[in-house]
Amino acid sequence: MDRVPILQIGDVLLVSIQVDLQDQSVLNLQEDLAERISATGASGVVIDISAVEIVDSFIGRMFATIASLSQLFDADTVVVGMRPAVAITLVELGLTLGNVRTALDLDRGIKILRVLHERRRGLPGTGHAASTLGLR
Amino acid sequence: MIEAAELLRVVAAEESDVFVLRQHGRRVSEAVGLEGQDQVRVATALSDLTREFVQQDVRATVVFSVCQNGANHLIIEFHWNLGTDIEFGVGFDTAQRLMDDVRLARQEHRGTVVLTKQIPASAPGAVEPLNRMRALLSGEPETSPLEVLRAQNQELADALEHLEVRRQDQERLNKELDETNRGVVALYAELNEKSAQLKAASEAKTRFWSNISHELRGPLNSVMGLANLLLAPDSDPLTEEQHQQVRLIRDSGSTLLALVNELLDTAKAESGKLVPYLVAVDLSALFDRLRQTLGSTVTNPEIALVIEPPPFVTPVITDETMLTRILRNLLSNGLKFTERGEVRLSLHTEQDGRCLRFEVTDTGIGIPADQREKVFEEFHQVPGELQTRSAGTGLGLPYARRLAGILGGSLVLDPDRETGTRAVLRVPVAEQRISTLPRLNSILIVDDDPLFRERLAGMLTDFADEIREAADGRRALDIILEDPPDLAFVDLHMPVLTGRELLRILRAKPELAAIPAVLVTSATPEDLDLSVAGLDAGLLLKSQLSAESVVHVAGTAYQSAKEAARETG
Repeated sequence: MDRVPILQIGDVLLVSIQVDLQDQSVLNLQEDLAERISATGASGVVIDISAVEIVDSFIGRMFATIASLSQLFDADTVVVGMRPAVAITLVELGLTLGNVRTALDLDRGIKILRVLHERRRGLPGTGHAASTLGLR
Repeated sequence: MIEAAELLRVVAAEESDVFVLRQHGRRVSEAVGLEGQDQVRVATALSDLTREFVQQDVRATVVFSVCQNGANHLIIEFHWNLGTDIEFGVGFDTAQRLMDDVRLARQEHRGTVVLTKQIPASAPGAVEPLNRMRALLSGEPETSPLEVLRAQNQELADALEHLEVRRQDQERLNKELDETNRGVVALYAELNEKSAQLKAASEAKTRFWSNISHELRGPLNSVMGLANLLLAPDSDPLTEEQHQQVRLIRDSGSTLLALVNELLDTAKAESGKLVPYLVAVDLSALFDRLRQTLGSTVTNPEIALVIEPPPFVTPVITDETMLTRILRNLLSNGLKFTERGEVRLSLHTEQDGRCLRFEVTDTGIGIPADQREKVFEEFHQVPGELQTRSAGTGLGLPYARRLAGILGGSLVLDPDRETGTRAVLRVPVAEQRISTLPRLNSILIVDDDPLFRERLAGMLTDFADEIREAADGRRALDIILEDPPDLAFVDLHMPVLTGRELLRILRAKPELAAIPAVLVTSATPEDLDLSVAGLDAGLLLKSQLSAESVVHVAGTAYQSAKEAARETG
């Protein structure tokens, strides 16, 4: 079973999903990610799904789970690069991603994380930016 | 509606099939010309729905087909066996949201979900011919060899599973069959046992009858003998009253004896030991004897016993004793139940003379139609005044019918008779071949009774140049060894060497085995049939000794011995 690589950039973990995901791969990713966050003390997770063509209810729920999980480790999760077709489908499904924030691309995703991180440490910042970003 | 054309058929059984189905959904959607967003919708719906099946361990067959009749549709069907049914959750909801139409049906043992997605008329794939679509689908090398192998494995596993189910079915059926068989066998055993019990009971009854009858006859004979002695003119004089009483004793005794004899006869006939002893019988003489014996018993002047003379004079081959007993039985029955009129015996031939029909007709009280078969059951008597007055065991007719059966014939009561009774006895005539004896060189007579030897020799003088005699088996053996005769009459019971032993010795020697032999005995044939079996000898009863019977028996034995010798070469 393919494992999705998890890269570390600073205190952010980057998960770039380049293949269509099998259910088991998603579960593995969830496990690996929890381990890596706990091992590295990362403050944020960016999941890049720009190559993912289909997100069904299971995978969608899994993103939400991953977000909740990382929050327990004091890390925020941003899903970036969602394709329009996927986004439309998710809306049609009535699926909310819960605590998952979304961003248009990797660059914006990392910015959001940074803002969130600073706000949580009590610094004044532009926290609104993230909350206004949603599914398109 | 035009039948949908099938594009692809896959099985969803394992977790990885979710992924596979998703990919197929994507590709098929693309092939039929759905736009990108719809491709994602179809793939997502398939993914979610397939997961429902996989997670609940329900094997489903997924069929992709396209329906091209003006408005084109992509149709995806999930079929599964209701043996393991499924409860739909979120996946079904997904499908309903993303597809144009979702229908769920459960029929008999099959469940079906049909997903429909409309293909826009403008779509390039919608106008493409079907085979083009198929080519597009199969041409896409997205399934790896491993995937193909897996699919094949899956198919194999399916087939194996199917076989296993069949095998279990068969095993179960076999088991059921086995149990049924065991039941049947047990039933058979029970039946056999019951039949054996019945047979034993019937045999016991017969044995009981015959023993009791034997035992009764002795004392009865003594009673009658003594009564006769008392009544004899030269015995001490009795008073008139005593005379009358003794006569009553004697008469009752004789009635009782007759009953006991009847019982004994029936028992014998029933035991199957009676074999017909076929000889040439002169029916005129037989009828004469019947007229004499029965005529004297008719005391009522209003009854006439008419015995018509037989229509032919040639002797017939049958068992004289049995025939006499049957006819006497029928006639005395007729006399018993007739108060005035006549009892008539007449003889006719049937089937070109191959069957004799004896009719005994009376003008008596008759037998009600519903009783005409019952009277042939043992101990059955028609209830009525006259019947209770006359003595009888109810064994006469059953016995007569048994004897008729032994003779190969039948005995029935004429069912159409309104008044009186007509009994019809049919007896087949044995082939009218009375064997004759050619003139022989020498005949040997072996018997310890010189008077009998003399009598038999007298009957045979015309048939042989030389008649030799021997008084016992040992002497006979010497004579035979010295100069074998052409025919030997051997008495069964002799001192030194019995007839049976003598014949056994002869039959064991190849050069002497072919000598024709006739066993002579005073025993009745029913006691003999076992003991003389395998001796290849004729049988002559001393009680029925006549020139005709001797020639018949001897001729038969002689000819069959010659035939046997010819056959063995």
